[in-house]
Amino acid sequence: MKEHGTTLPFRFMECALLTLSTGVRAQSIRELRTALPQTPLSSIYYHFWGRMLRPHIAESEFNNDFASWADSGLGDIELAEALSAINPVACADLGEIRSILEDILDARLENGDFMSWKKSDREFYFIACTKMMFDTGREVSSLKDFPLAVKTASRQSFFHHFIDGRRRSPEGKDDFSLWLEQFGEETEPLRKSLRAIDSYLFSLGELKGQVVSLLEKNLHRRGK
Amino acid sequence: MSEMLKKYGEVVGFHAMDSLMVIADMLRGKKIVHVNSTKEGGGVAEILSSMVPLSKELGLDVSWEVIEGNPDFFACTKTLHNSLQGMPGGLPEQQIEAYVETNRTNAEKLRGVVEDADYVFIHDPQPAPLLGYFPKRKGKWIWRCHIDVSSPNRSVWRFVKKHVEGYDASIFSLPDFAQTLPHPQFLITPSIDPLSEKNIALPKSEVAKTYEELGIPMDKPVILQVSRFDRFKDPLGVIESFRIAREHVDIRLVLAGGGATDDPESGEVLARVQEAAAGDPDIHVLLLPADAHRTINALQSGADVVMQKSTKEGFGLTVTEGLWKKKPVIGGDVGGIRLQIINRFNGFRVRSPEGAAIRIRYLLTHKWKRERMGVNARQYVLENFLITGQLRRYLSLLVSLNSPDGEWERWI
Repeated sequence: MKEHGTTLPFRFMECALLTLSTGVRAQSIRELRTALPQTPLSSIYYHFWGRMLRPHIAESEFNNDFASWADSGLGDIELAEALSAINPVACADLGEIRSILEDILDARLENGDFMSWKKSDREFYFIACTKMMFDTGREVSSLKDFPLAVKTASRQSFFHHFIDGRRRSPEGKDDFSLWLEQFGEETEPLRKSLRAIDSYLFSLGELKGQVVSLLEKNLHRRGK
Repeated sequence: MSEMLKKYGEVVGFHAMDSLMVIADMLRGKKIVHVNSTKEGGGVAEILSSMVPLSKELGLDVSWEVIEGNPDFFACTKTLHNSLQGMPGGLPEQQIEAYVETNRTNAEKLRGVVEDADYVFIHDPQPAPLLGYFPKRKGKWIWRCHIDVSSPNRSVWRFVKKHVEGYDASIFSLPDFAQTLPHPQFLITPSIDPLSEKNIALPKSEVAKTYEELGIPMDKPVILQVSRFDRFKDPLGVIESFRIAREHVDIRLVLAGGGATDDPESGEVLARVQEAAAGDPDIHVLLLPADAHRTINALQSGADVVMQKSTKEGFGLTVTEGLWKKKPVIGGDVGGIRLQIINRFNGFRVRSPEGAAIRIRYLLTHKWKRERMGVNARQYVLENFLITGQLRRYLSLLVSLNSPDGEWERWI
């Protein structure tokens, strides 16, 4: 066991997501398709991940803004379902997500039915973002102290480590799981449970509650 | 952590305060100035009344300056405000002169404060031309637009644009409001202060006493709209929706408004509202002083349904206040209200007096849903629209303005 001696501490980072208008908007599928190649990649990030940090409710049916708009703005449920099937964590980078979006929209436009030119009464606004990350200086080294440390981390810090961590990791692993790996098999069941959490079906507050609950259940019994 | 910060921590969580302090530390020693056109009345003054003391408590060097103007100046800025919200027409020459001259004289008064500041926030169009008088300014200047400029009167926008395009950045509440400008346009929503007189929890006895003192019997459900007497707040539409709903449910309507010193039109709108309500014992029209925050708090706390039936709305802080007090809110389907009210989750967005009336009836006849929506309402504000979150975003923006341009994702 590595906990004493050679344990690498978990260092908490903070993030701030600043949102910016791109001035690009779309009212139909065709306009959305035309605008996609010219929007910055940070806009793809915002519409898939950034939504977690802005006002939204857990009951949102779809996992990205493109799908939500296809449903509520255009009433095109078929397109919304196709767009919501994109798994952004499985994509190599934001450019790949954009390519998949373009493919889905092209396929929908090829159908040529009225949906391809239907105008929404609510425009889709492409929003860009700047994500700033900084070191809080907070560290935790022991498994025993880890649940409380996560519990007392800010929403943005939790977002950075758990949600955004899955995007940054080539294996799609969150930062908590990556840190827990150094403890070997002992933490394998916990890591498996963390992997099983679907980050798109809950609000950030609910996700944090679930993660903390798992950590407490699995690590508190360690005592000192 | 100081006593004030601890009090915020008890509401928003101490982790949120720790996070705010980490960012504030990056701006220690920097001089930050806010400039607007009124010390009291209206959302901007309320936000600054909370944000400035909180910023100081975090160890920041922050000051708040208010420009002074004559009636011609405020007539001009009211026309500007209305026109940016879409009202047709132009600006009279006399008003333009007053606008420019007022900013010139205020620039001289403020020179010692803003010229060497590291960051200057200019709020709304009233003081926007100040920038032009400081070619040797040291810091970054940010224009903060609180108005719904989604479909402005174009000729008036062109006039305002001349004064704001030189800023280093601007901030709008929603993407719908952003315009074509040669600098970054950040999107940041306004907020309320949970510790202010307007939003702290009041004892039931105080709520009842306030209603009694204002002569409003609490014998039947109360529908409330709190807002300035402004045409875009549609107080006449509220009366209409109340009268439609009253055919089915026995209710009372309270229209409570304060005046803002920079709003010369409120008297005219109030007169029209009083005329429409004349002789109706179930409609109470209250003109409250600008500092009647605790009274407004009591009115909102005692209401059964809160309304904000605006036809244009920058954000709608009265919506936020109602939600914070666990009231489902019926709001106009415009501007920032769209971001705050999610249909059936914490209220209803409506487009007509008839739509508002049916929602009033629905909420009054579905008590458990009303209560459930009230719980959702408070939680939604807690997570998204409190002053600590807005300040965090402002401070992050300032940090970003001084960090080198580069990747959208960067370490500071």
